[in-house]
Amino acid sequence: MADVSLRDVKKQFGALSVIKGVDLDVKDGEFCVFVGPSGCGKSTLLRMIAGLEDITSGALSIGGKDMTSVGPSERGVAMVFQSYALYPHMTVAENIGFGLKMTGHSKAMIAERTAAAAKLLQLEPLLQRKPGQLSGGQRQRVAIGRAIVRNPQVFLFDEPLSNLDAALRVQMRTELSKLHQDLKATMIYVTHDQVEAMTMADKIVVLSAGKIEQVGSPLELYHRPNNLFVAGFIGSPKMNFLTVNVTAGEGGKAVVSLPGATVVLDAGATTIAGGEMTFGLRPEHVDAKGKGDAQIQATVKLAEYLGSETLFFVTLADGSEMAVKADGLASQRPGDTITLGINAKACHLFNTDGTAVINGDLTR
Amino acid sequence: MFPTPIQKASPFVQAGYKLLLPLALFLWLLPLIGVAVTSVRPAGDLAAGNYFGIPSGFAGVENYTAVFRDSPIGLYILNSFKVTIPTVIGAVALSCLTGFALAVYKFKGNLILFFMFVAGNFIPFQILMVPVRDLTLKLGLYDTTMGLVLFHVAFQTGFCTLFMRNFIKGLPFALIESARVEGVSEWRIFRYIVLPLMRPAIAALSVLIFTFVWNDYFWATVLVQGQHAMPVTAGLNSLNGQWVAAWHLVSAGSIVAALPPVAMFFLMQRHFIAGLTLGATKG
Repeated sequence: MADVSLRDVKKQFGALSVIKGVDLDVKDGEFCVFVGPSGCGKSTLLRMIAGLEDITSGALSIGGKDMTSVGPSERGVAMVFQSYALYPHMTVAENIGFGLKMTGHSKAMIAERTAAAAKLLQLEPLLQRKPGQLSGGQRQRVAIGRAIVRNPQVFLFDEPLSNLDAALRVQMRTELSKLHQDLKATMIYVTHDQVEAMTMADKIVVLSAGKIEQVGSPLELYHRPNNLFVAGFIGSPKMNFLTVNVTAGEGGKAVVSLPGATVVLDAGATTIAGGEMTFGLRPEHVDAKGKGDAQIQATVKLAEYLGSETLFFVTLADGSEMAVKADGLASQRPGDTITLGINAKACHLFNTDGTAVINGDLTR
Repeated sequence: MFPTPIQKASPFVQAGYKLLLPLALFLWLLPLIGVAVTSVRPAGDLAAGNYFGIPSGFAGVENYTAVFRDSPIGLYILNSFKVTIPTVIGAVALSCLTGFALAVYKFKGNLILFFMFVAGNFIPFQILMVPVRDLTLKLGLYDTTMGLVLFHVAFQTGFCTLFMRNFIKGLPFALIESARVEGVSEWRIFRYIVLPLMRPAIAALSVLIFTFVWNDYFWATVLVQGQHAMPVTAGLNSLNGQWVAAWHLVSAGSIVAALPPVAMFFLMQRHFIAGLTLGATKG
């Protein structure tokens, strides 16, 4: 077990800069998730930690040892690939034991560790099968088994669940979380699915265009996004953004003029410059019954009745759009007028450059 | 569905299909049929000018016995095996290594090196005739099976490398990366992961190279003079008399000489067809 630390790590492919300087510490035993849209460099960063891509500049250490230019085989990491990368000509047992066999471990030890991994992952009845005879979920478990037997310092997962169907993905997600609790190993996990990130991570690293946007626990990112990118990326449905005019009020207040209403936010110690800013409010923090510190009128454009909840897509007085999450019994139909209640404590305010000025953290 | 199944086409098209297909097949096989029929013709037919007509009698037994009696065809066939088998092993083994290196490693000049292998195939070997003959003479390999083997290995490795490199490129690269992360050495990755997966390619390439080299006539006549090293393709010529062309015997000898590659093809047919398409598409 070990911690992983990256210091100003960069990656260039010719003139193209893919990773633009990353500083990150993953603590021993932590489940760290890299999340971001496709092409943000999260897989490249993982492959750099694995040693499959060279580090152009900067330093990487695993367990306190400098690993910047050490080959992948000597880093003590195990990696689970998106495609699973099972050796098609070997049985499940041979697949799991292959790495140990090739690095000169005794037969008895290989058998023992293979059996233990198979037990942990419920692969015992499948040990003599070839990968071609397994289902997607089973292949995934074999790939994980192959990583476990080596007792690595760090586990690396590259979008391991993206090839599975929705139901299996949810199941494997909980199995992976359980595995992390059992093994207490450092795990770094790459995904583009923010639900996976929120449910599994101790620490989420949000990446965009080769840079870290924010690092924090799932709830920290949800309640206190540093910038517009993180605010928009974390949470589903997406946070609503409105361009608004803000004036500084007395006693550290920010007066936000919304279409058809004004809401006063507590700015705390932050000084509000005023002028044009971006107002952010999550759909689940808008009250469809009109309760709150301010009320605005809107017209329902589209409604999705999901049973447990209803999603309204509404148009405000000035034509801007918002999503509202109401409870499943809300009865408005498209075309109806709806009164929305806004809780001032849940509102976020962002500067024109995208940085957060006020975070409406409801946990405070 | 495209193309339309023949069962659903108009009766006219169906009738045409049934007529033309056997006809086309007959035309395609005509030279082979000609050789096969000539090989059982009595010698008198050819003297009488009956080259393409109905044979006047069946002389198959006499002709085939004569082939084995009048010429050292057994020795020629043995020589052909002595040339073909080491060439197949040499060229395929070399190209497994070169193909692996070119497909897996990124290094400067990789593509240029690969193109050099491919470009070798475009050189008409007629222009190599004189220099290669001089080279084998100077190396003391003229008139030996060894000389033929070395030349064939050198000449076939280019095509084999093209084939193997593309086949290995088609394998999922994650398999190799995964093994690297597991701490497996590069040689063992080749030996235990890539080589077993290349089996269909190796089988297909072996049949192809076996056929190419077995059927070679050009180099057999350029690099060999004596009976002791003469492969069967060139050796068949000795069945002709000094003044008379014994086409019935040459045909019978050709049929005998063609049997090994045909047998090889049918034995490996399954791998051969699978291998040729396997390199082209993923999955």
